[in-house]
Amino acid sequence: MKTVEIVERIEGEAKLNCSWDNNVISDARIDFLNFRGFEFILEGKAPLDALVYTPRICGICGQAHLKATVDALENIYENINEKLEVTPKAKLLREIGLNIEIIDSHIKWFYMFILPDIIKLKQNDLGIYQPLKGSRWLGASKTASETIKSLAILGGQWPHTSYMIPGGVVTDPTLLDLSSMMNYIDTAVMFFEKSVAGVSFDKYLDFDSRDDLNILSGDMKYFTNLAFENSFQKIGTSHNRFIALGESSLFKTGKIRQRAINKLDLSKVREFTEQTFTIEDRANPKKHTWSKAVCYDNNFYETGPLARAMIGNKPFIKELHKSFKDSVFTRVMARMDELAHLLDNTKSLIKQVDISEESYIKPKINLKDIDSAKATSVVEACRGSLYHDIEIEKGKIKKYDVITPTVWNLGPSHKEQKGIAQKAIIGSKSLDIAKIVLRSFDVCSVCTTH
Amino acid sequence: MIDSAEMVKKVFTQKSGRVETNKGDEYYNELFDSAKERLSSLRAQEPLKDIDLMDVIDSEGVNRRDFMKWVSATTATLMLPPMFAPLVAEATELMNRVPVIWIELQDCAGNSEALLRSAAPTVDDLLFDVLSLEFHEALQAAAGHDADRQLEEAVHHFKGDYLLFVEGAIPMANEGRYGTIGASGETFHDHLQRMAKDSAAVVAVGTCATFGGVPAAAPNPTGAVGVMDLVKGKPIINIPACPANPANMVGVVLHYVLTGQVPELDSLLRPKFAFGYRIHDNCERRAHFDAGEFVEEWGDIGAENNWCLYKVGCKGPMTFNNCSIVRYNEGTNWPVGVGRGCIGCSEPDFWDKYAYERPMANANIKAPTGGVEKTVDEFGLGLLTATTVGIGVHAIGSAIAGKKSDEGEE
Ligand code: SF4
Ligand code: SF4
Repeated sequence: MKTVEIVERIEGEAKLNCSWDNNVISDARIDFLNFRGFEFILEGKAPLDALVYTPRICGICGQAHLKATVDALENIYENINEKLEVTPKAKLLREIGLNIEIIDSHIKWFYMFILPDIIKLKQNDLGIYQPLKGSRWLGASKTASETIKSLAILGGQWPHTSYMIPGGVVTDPTLLDLSSMMNYIDTAVMFFEKSVAGVSFDKYLDFDSRDDLNILSGDMKYFTNLAFENSFQKIGTSHNRFIALGESSLFKTGKIRQRAINKLDLSKVREFTEQTFTIEDRANPKKHTWSKAVCYDNNFYETGPLARAMIGNKPFIKELHKSFKDSVFTRVMARMDELAHLLDNTKSLIKQVDISEESYIKPKINLKDIDSAKATSVVEACRGSLYHDIEIEKGKIKKYDVITPTVWNLGPSHKEQKGIAQKAIIGSKSLDIAKIVLRSFDVCSVCTTH
Repeated sequence: MIDSAEMVKKVFTQKSGRVETNKGDEYYNELFDSAKERLSSLRAQEPLKDIDLMDVIDSEGVNRRDFMKWVSATTATLMLPPMFAPLVAEATELMNRVPVIWIELQDCAGNSEALLRSAAPTVDDLLFDVLSLEFHEALQAAAGHDADRQLEEAVHHFKGDYLLFVEGAIPMANEGRYGTIGASGETFHDHLQRMAKDSAAVVAVGTCATFGGVPAAAPNPTGAVGVMDLVKGKPIINIPACPANPANMVGVVLHYVLTGQVPELDSLLRPKFAFGYRIHDNCERRAHFDAGEFVEEWGDIGAENNWCLYKVGCKGPMTFNNCSIVRYNEGTNWPVGVGRGCIGCSEPDFWDKYAYERPMANANIKAPTGGVEKTVDEFGLGLLTATTVGIGVHAIGSAIAGKKSDEGEE
């Protein structure tokens, strides 16, 4: 028996095709059927134009794309031995911007995407979690809107912010701007304390054991109860391999297969297209999705908050992972745990900004005058590691390759290996469960295919 | 030199005459009466949602004064005189009589995201409680086949009455294979046509849905086009920009509730209340433009002092939109506010024409012919000529000014 389920309420839609054996999903295929062709569009454009294009790959994680582009362009300078001087202030403002975007995305994901689906397994009435109506849903939406204002202060607008340029940032916040930003972040901290975790922020940040689950009392507790009722601590396990390409003051780069390794060789990141449609041809029966598959050293790795917590040694999540592996439960908890650490980290970053420093130092060479150069950049986005690869020839973009976090997690199989989400879904006992397993990766179809 | 300088001044400082902000008492009185009639007939209709706005406002503890502030701001945005404020307030209450169906095609969800961050006392209440959003993929609980069903039911139930909001472009190359929807694999184009067929009007939100947007950027690999290229025989309202300003989305709905009609449109089908004037007309840095004070490069003294961004590529003088007034994220800020400059995102083909690094004078801009109002055309042409001259004039002007002061110090 085969079934097809469409998964919506994500940016775009994914199609889940399941095969069944004794009422258990024995095989799964995920199709992404929307394609825009950004990599083709970027070819031949002026390098700086990429700063306008790539953020538009996604209305949710545009900030990450912006940073990836700016980093890639700066790495171009480095690769031609013209390393740019970027002030600590500019670096901080970029990192703060990216953090805020992830905070916003995590809040929305929990309240708008995963929680309602899990509650629906039990009851039809979503109560305070009812989209567009429930008080908690509205509270979460409001908190996200307030938080993102602190990014608008830096970037002028959100979504599709563009204040980063090679050499720094164009924005130059005043002390008043910084303290308004702090206030907006505090709104989110309060929401976290009151609604998300139900314990004081400081106390939460000290969580380091499985028993701390008992101290939770807010929506994370509600989620935990629902998860255990549905055995989500045992469902949705995948390869149990993790990767984080990017690095920041909060995140560490590395991978875990059997053991943790902190040094990565980016040349081992490779994309595969056995199952992927090509622009000319969509009729090949072997091909079923616009998504490519991506591997590190020929293996699939999960990316995202759980991977970051594992590689970055976040004690609470590592403890949960010891008991519950890479399950739906651990994955969701890792994302919410990251929310707390991001809020904490962002506050301390804002405090470090020295407004007397320069925002921007002009590069000595114009990208238009570069004859030929290549560069790569990696950034941790809401859903995991984002990789940009650019090649410039005669001052124009010759090739631009984007590998998004969702390609790592939601891409199709490669040779004999099942993709990360694909493997996690196999074994589910119903389509509703399968959908939640898929959702636990924070699906975004426009990112996956771009 | 002086002639050109005068010309530049004239072009850039003339009052934009395209939008009639005062159409005379007679006109407004008539509109007032018809709006009143329309509202009372709406009030007589069954609400689609049994929610009373004033209850919501009270129960959520929103200050009524804040609400009234929002109402007067919105009235002004719609370019209506203050006497319409009570009617706008009432229309807000009656938004639940107008069903809205929102579909996403070749998009990035940026407009949905922007809508979620819309401006109002608590717009969560205003919009989501009152606006009858009958279908929105991302903002509802139903998913998958349930969502498909919900959409079909809404279309059936509100046949002929709903406003269809479309976000995203439509890929036409390769028989539409670059975008399909639902289990049947219906192409975006077929889906759009089917949804549009029974709508009262189609609202294209964002530059993708209006003009093809980023997906349509050269070489347009998927053959992306906008809604108005495909849908015929229905009123179409374009709300371009990337992302479109939620204030304008709300404005269009309110206008429709208030008058039962689509607002006055320019020939690119953009509501004049929002796209009747240029960014540049109301820019906070405008005084510096007029004074010839420019940011020459990011990080310079001009940047520190918030001077005009024209020379680092601001496309404000060519861009029709109201973000210099409305701003983004509940009025928090806008691109010119942080020193980036406008990228012209509400204009057709802005990707290929206006892109980031080209200062406007060097940009590949053609006069906006074929569609835009005659006045705008003429204006655009005049502006273009003036722009090219203008950059020269200003450059020379600043050089002379620089020299003079240098000499002065010696
Ligand atoms: S117009 Fe811009 S914000 Fe809107 S869908 Fe297109 S790319 Fe995204
Ligand atoms: S910053 Fe742009 S919109 Fe503002 S005055 Fe200068 S050119 Fe005009």
